[in-house]
Amino acid sequence: MTVVDLPARTHPDERTIADGNDQRKRRRRREYGLFALLVAPNLLVIAVFAYWPIIYNAFLSLTDWNMIAARPKFVGLANYGRTLTDPAFHKTLWITVVFTGLIVVGSLVIGLALAFLFNLPLKGRGAVRTIAFAPHILSGAAVATIWAFIFDPGYGLMRALIEPFGAEPPDWMNSSDWALPGLVIVYLWKNVGFAALIYLAGLQSLPKELDEAAAIDGASTWTRFRSIKLPLLAPITFFLLITTVIGTFQAFDVIAVMTGGGPGDATTTLSWSIYNEGFQAFNAGRAATLSIIMFVILLVVTTVQARVMERRVHYR
Amino acid sequence: MSMLKRRMFLGLAAGATLAGCGYRSVDAIYSQPAGSVPKQYANRTRVVFWSPYGGVNGKAVDKLVAKFNDSQQDVYVEVQFQGSYDDVAQKVAAALVAKQAPDLAVLSDVTWERFFLNDALEPLNGYFTDGFGPGVFQEKLFGEYVVKGQSWAVPFARSTPIMYYNRDAFAKAGLPDRVPRTWSELRSWVPELAKVQSGGRSLRTIAFAKIDGDWQFQGNVWQFGGAYSKGLDVTIDEAGAVAAGDWQREMVHDLGAAYMASSPSTDFANGLVGVIQESTGAMKTIGSKAKFKVGAGFIPSEVAAGIATGGGGIGMLRNISTERKQAAATFLQFLALPENSAWWTTQTGYLPVVNKAREDAELKKLIAEQPNYGVAIAQLENARQQDAIRLYGRNANVQIYTGLQQIYADNAQPKKVFASVARRLDVIGDEVKRLYEEKVL
Repeated sequence: MTVVDLPARTHPDERTIADGNDQRKRRRRREYGLFALLVAPNLLVIAVFAYWPIIYNAFLSLTDWNMIAARPKFVGLANYGRTLTDPAFHKTLWITVVFTGLIVVGSLVIGLALAFLFNLPLKGRGAVRTIAFAPHILSGAAVATIWAFIFDPGYGLMRALIEPFGAEPPDWMNSSDWALPGLVIVYLWKNVGFAALIYLAGLQSLPKELDEAAAIDGASTWTRFRSIKLPLLAPITFFLLITTVIGTFQAFDVIAVMTGGGPGDATTTLSWSIYNEGFQAFNAGRAATLSIIMFVILLVVTTVQARVMERRVHYR
Repeated sequence: MSMLKRRMFLGLAAGATLAGCGYRSVDAIYSQPAGSVPKQYANRTRVVFWSPYGGVNGKAVDKLVAKFNDSQQDVYVEVQFQGSYDDVAQKVAAALVAKQAPDLAVLSDVTWERFFLNDALEPLNGYFTDGFGPGVFQEKLFGEYVVKGQSWAVPFARSTPIMYYNRDAFAKAGLPDRVPRTWSELRSWVPELAKVQSGGRSLRTIAFAKIDGDWQFQGNVWQFGGAYSKGLDVTIDEAGAVAAGDWQREMVHDLGAAYMASSPSTDFANGLVGVIQESTGAMKTIGSKAKFKVGAGFIPSEVAAGIATGGGGIGMLRNISTERKQAAATFLQFLALPENSAWWTTQTGYLPVVNKAREDAELKKLIAEQPNYGVAIAQLENARQQDAIRLYGRNANVQIYTGLQQIYADNAQPKKVFASVARRLDVIGDEVKRLYEEKVL
């Protein structure tokens, strides 16, 4: 929000310049006052619940504190040095990137495909849309509990489905090779409906003329998809890209219930390691350091995405 | 306001908030967590008691507390269930930061130490009476909370692991109706147990815990002649511990007779596995779920005997008023009555922490009828306090069980895994060393 700089309406002929300046100042002051009054409540809430925690967190990242000791010990940048050179941290970052990449790409691709499907005039599509979207609004802990049952090698649904074909299902959550793919499946199941819904809304608001004109000119379905629909959907893709990246980076609930970051460190993402350092190890300083690192990464990713998209995305 | 003044003001404000926010003053009196007091108990001193016991054990806690509340006129204890042992510890820490304190909290074998080291617990010697204090409690379990002559918590739901076995499955396999005496003996039973079918598969011999399995493994390491640490000097990468890890790795990956389970006790109660090492405090729960005859016995030995004590003790928070402290102490005194301690054991399977509780008629009758309830008591002579690194090292337990997960899930070589765990434990040990040497040694 900006304050509009109003030109003085008084004419130099009628009043002295000093008079006009005075009035302008007074009016501007009044406008500032009103502006402050209007934004103050929001600003206060944001300051208390968003900015203050970030600043306080930045401060904690410079300390060694177990949350019980009477006060934190200032250690400067030691936490950063230690974290950035720790091979376990590098592995955590790698896992986070793989996890996020798979879920972002999966959500967008499957979401788009579903959106096209839902856009077809098929019978019962309303019900199917609802079913596809429903997982998105379920609580993560509930979703995780259901999937923990599905994946359970002893009494899970997956066993009942796979065993008749003579195959042994993997012990999803207790195997380092399968735990991360398992989590990706769960998060995709939870996210895809949302992506599909947003894409569907985008598809339905696309101008029909372009598509029809291209069709008359003999463009194939694929060409029309690639050269017309996809570029027109770019703002939607951009929106989903950013929200999914941020959401996945912060994913925690399902990991907490299903794997606890394990087995070993196979599913230890950045957000899980923050929890582990903070609330299992009571290491507030190092947890804060990891949080700041995550904050910076997300800030950079979002800025880069925004820059790139500024050039590519054309809002109509 | 000029630019300079505004900067100064902002700087001061930020500085003041940073300095004043969030830290505990050791002797400040903090408010109580919110709750509700039923009408008939109004006008009493309220005591908030944070508990990690849910399910069968949680109901037993509720009943004990209700009995206390009806037994006198002055104190009302409100029990608030907070989740697992770790959850209770997290919430107590968070409460202290928010300048709030429950009066009593159940702290586990690996969490009370950090509250003690950082001056968050009230020393209890001043509250001891003839019926509450040394001599009243079982010596070993009481002694674990005594540091330099001062008590920092008292035992409540204390346990050791015991071995549970599926008696029906053992009978089908043609095995003797008892637990194995050594780990080697259990291994020799693998082929017999594998012949038994359960849930459409051959029965597996043993399940290892995915989370917190390092508690049982502490004993296993001793049984194979090793230790997690001597004092804070880490020895998990030495022969005994590695041998224990190798034995388990072979059971999982070479013999296919063992696996890592999210909840070994659930799998056991569902008949998927022949034996488990589980807390004696799970006895009632397992008994109520299992549809077969459950047997129990000592944890096997190998080159030595030895099992780790565990479970919860009750600590009193330091940042509460004198009135609340006195009231909280009356509840602790109530729990130390032999009949209450014995009743708790009959309802849960936890060890009777009070000496005279073992003479209680109800408990004696239960043990005569169901010998399983006597196993942990008899086994207590082999029990001892865990190695210091697991007790005092922040997150040491997580580092160890994460290492075990790699052995169970990935067939990682114990020697290699424990070498890497040891490096992490060394760092953890160094962090706590100064406080440990100052307050414990």
